[in-house]
Amino acid sequence: MKAPDLIDEQSAELLGFPWLRTALAPVSAYGARRFAELRPYRLGEERAAQDRAREVASIAGTLAPERVGASRATLASLPDVAAVVARATMDDLLDDPDFFELAQLCDGVERLEGVANAATRSVAATLAPGRREGGAFYLADAFDPTLAGARIALRDVQAELDAARGRERAEAARALERDEIAGDEFIVMRADLHGGPPPGVRVQREAATYLLCTLEYGAASLAALERREAAVAAVAAAEENVRRRLSSAMRESAGGLAAANDALARLDETLAAVRFTQRYGCTAAEIVAESALAIDQARFPPLEDELERAGRRFVPVTVQLDAPAVLTGPNMGGKSVAMQTCGFIALAAAFGLPVPAAHARVALFDQIAWLGVGREERPTGLLSSFAAELMALNGVLERRAQRPAIFVDEFARTTSPAEGIALAVALLERLREAGACGLAATHLPGIAEAAGVRHFAVRSYVIAEVDGDEQVSGDAIALAESLGMDERFVAAAYRALKGTTWTR
Amino acid sequence: MRAGARLLELARARGARAVFVVGTAKGVGKTTALRAIYDAACAANLSVGLASVGYRARFPLRAGTLFATARTLLPATPAVEILQIAPLETSAGALLYARTLHDGSYDVIGPSTASGVRESLAFLGADSDVVLLDGAIDRLAMLASSPGAIVVSCGAAGAKSQPQAVEDVAALAARLRVRAADPTADALEIVGAFTATAADELMRRGERRQIVVTDPTQIALNGAALARALAGLRVRCRRPLEVVAATVCALAPERNFEPESFLRAVAQATGLPSFDVCAGREAA
Repeated sequence: MKAPDLIDEQSAELLGFPWLRTALAPVSAYGARRFAELRPYRLGEERAAQDRAREVASIAGTLAPERVGASRATLASLPDVAAVVARATMDDLLDDPDFFELAQLCDGVERLEGVANAATRSVAATLAPGRREGGAFYLADAFDPTLAGARIALRDVQAELDAARGRERAEAARALERDEIAGDEFIVMRADLHGGPPPGVRVQREAATYLLCTLEYGAASLAALERREAAVAAVAAAEENVRRRLSSAMRESAGGLAAANDALARLDETLAAVRFTQRYGCTAAEIVAESALAIDQARFPPLEDELERAGRRFVPVTVQLDAPAVLTGPNMGGKSVAMQTCGFIALAAAFGLPVPAAHARVALFDQIAWLGVGREERPTGLLSSFAAELMALNGVLERRAQRPAIFVDEFARTTSPAEGIALAVALLERLREAGACGLAATHLPGIAEAAGVRHFAVRSYVIAEVDGDEQVSGDAIALAESLGMDERFVAAAYRALKGTTWTR
Repeated sequence: MRAGARLLELARARGARAVFVVGTAKGVGKTTALRAIYDAACAANLSVGLASVGYRARFPLRAGTLFATARTLLPATPAVEILQIAPLETSAGALLYARTLHDGSYDVIGPSTASGVRESLAFLGADSDVVLLDGAIDRLAMLASSPGAIVVSCGAAGAKSQPQAVEDVAALAARLRVRAADPTADALEIVGAFTATAADELMRRGERRQIVVTDPTQIALNGAALARALAGLRVRCRRPLEVVAATVCALAPERNFEPESFLRAVAQATGLPSFDVCAGREAA
């Protein structure tokens, strides 16, 4: 899941893209490959994005979460046979682990809806003689009567060899007055030896107190050994013949197997989206071809999760945007979160996902960017933080996107208020000219009216449109007080505030 | 005397369903000892699971043996019953569990992590009467968290002289046989490895409390330092290991020891039932 043309890395971080990527991660190797290539829908693909979101939402509405979980568990358990299928196509000789995995795959796809096809059923039937209890696979005699015959011959001659060798061991052990002779080499203590070593025992090395010996092969063992070598070769040839035949059958089904792999990838991707939809109560947004971002009761799941863990509740965001607008409100009042929510919804919609909102009407944007607070522009060399902020802005505007969604958090906050206001107005004008949709959060006064854009204010986490230049208190001094600043400090701040235009 | 049968008997007498054979070095007869135990288990009609810790060992296996190997090491012939390709890695690639249906020589290998070893033991143990594990000394820590009996192997290949080989195996046995901590007595818990520096410092301070490690493989002491620490401190562990026997291999390409005296010396130094599998002897 990549969107380098849609969103830069820092904006992605702030708008929860890495979180979304994790939430949508597939569970199978098939899904992972497809997911790695997943791109957002482009301008003009509104219909496709809409259809995809509706498809996901519809499945989420009809499929019980338990079934989604069970299907994902099946997907996670499937072996990745893509390389095996590719080798089969190239007429490679497949081996038993390959057949084992193909058989497992063909079993597994029968438990998933819409994946099994004629090829997977044909492969399952071809490999059926080798299936064993618990899903195991063995190149069984049933594949070929020649193989069965070769194995019987090998078993017989092996038994003959074991018996002959066993007799030789037993005789040597008896002669050496030992219970057994273990291993190919053994030690005989000279003290235990009455006379020379017994027949069949060859001395490899002599020392003062012991002999290192091996047991020679007698005539019967040697003859059996030779016959066994021939029998082993016959079994090997018969096994290879069966593998060749099975490989050829797999090659004939390779196209269908590849199609099943593609279906698995699609299913995995879809189920991840369905799970996300169910978990966060998402709905399919109306995807439109003009700049619009209208959300009703929308949520920002990364923060929603965090609040839930802390036993708190996310206050949903409702706002209608069709152009850049100003957003004001007290510190810690929810301005940034409101903008993150908007950005997240735009991102989710761009990938054809249902969005975490009661209703949404969203455009496909070709650029989603965040500027200002939170974007960690590290000043480099002689660049101040203000200069870095302008450089970032320049980078965003240079893209010349056709339909951008831009979120600006306290732009130009690090310069003089008068020039900050001027720069913010200029930015909003530029965004309006560019046909952008978005919000610019600020504590600076007069910007909305000067830029001729709508003005929204956040109060108690709720957004409402306000008249042109209505000033909204930052509540900063009250906040400082509640955060433990001492009384003298707070009183001094209120004294200083009197006489300014921003009185309580 | 049947060494394999005796080793198996000693392990099973302690209720162990898994037997780990660990050596003081390479070439000290670990695999020979394991093969003897394997043969004994087969002769007793026990179903056997086999794995190796971290490295690869080739074994002649009988039909019906469950074993861990790597996908890349599976022979084309004779075909085996493939039970599972596990999501675990060995040094030779993906781990695969199989059952032999024909006698033959097979490469046995196992996972390279402690959790992987535990998983392998669980898998093999679910369908076997006894699981045998070939374990290199540098992978000892992996065995610590898995229940089973331990056989320590030593030999001429692992030391330049017989006294050195005896000292090495005695130290290993002493280290692995550290007793369980007394839960009612004062204890100083050691987190991580218990090193020579830590031991010297505790002895200098005259520490009287129990020095408690999680398991004996955390004791990173050898030779004289280990002997000093075990004599001067009350070293204990939370999870004691079950060391049941020692095996010796007096012969190596570079040097040979006198088998009889080597076996006797190892038995005396370790206090363990000791066996020379190649000579078919048990120390009196």
